[in-house]
Amino acid sequence: MDPVVPLLRALNQRNVRYVAIGVGGVNLWAHSGGVVFKTDDRDLFLPPDADNLVQAWTACDDAGLELWLTDEPLDRPRDRWLAEQIVARRALTRATGPNELLVDLTLVMKGFEFETVWNERHVFRVEGVEIPTARLLHIVTSKQAAGRQKDQLFLATHKDALEQLLKKPNLD
Amino acid sequence: MACVSRACQTTVELHVMDSELERVLRGLDEAVEFAKSYRFEMTEDYLALIARVEALPQNRPGADKSWVWRLSDSSARFYKSAVRVR
Repeated sequence: MDPVVPLLRALNQRNVRYVAIGVGGVNLWAHSGGVVFKTDDRDLFLPPDADNLVQAWTACDDAGLELWLTDEPLDRPRDRWLAEQIVARRALTRATGPNELLVDLTLVMKGFEFETVWNERHVFRVEGVEIPTARLLHIVTSKQAAGRQKDQLFLATHKDALEQLLKKPNLD
Repeated sequence: MACVSRACQTTVELHVMDSELERVLRGLDEAVEFAKSYRFEMTEDYLALIARVEALPQNRPGADKSWVWRLSDSSARFYKSAVRVR
């Protein structure tokens, strides 16, 4: 089982609002192995909601993951006050676990507000767990807006792969 | 191509760079320069591809994507197990 599955299950059990974004999110839209890309982390986009963030942290605890703020363990108690500080700063908290699992809980998705992405989310299933996923259009548009070198190259590669694969007959 | 490096205070080693390695390293340097200047443009073609992917039957709501993560995981394990042979 993928080590992130227990976390996603715990997030769902606690009714945490999140959507999968980043390369991991793009991969969920893959229709072929030719458009599955290697990534070292999973990005989950959360709303700027302190209560939701506390629940997300608790789900990480449930799944036996460690939480980090920059390179320090996230302080305790992991309560509403701490979550409000994190939300005010739109800071990223990172969960780590077995098999080099690395999950970023981000409150920022360049060019998008959470509600926009959430309202148009798509749900996929992995190992029986439902994963709210941002629209592919939203993910690639955000990557374009971010303008980072690695995103630019990723988009070029993704476009090239789609062009190659969608030329194949009998795909849809 | 030959390059000289000072290995210690009293010894100078002479290395002859493999021509294939030299070609590969030159290619990497060129790729780095290209990446620095590259700017991806969001085109109508790409947006049409995205719309097509979103509408694929494989991407219907609730579609099982367990295979994606299995593939990603096995790929990561494969590359992690790679060792340098020369």
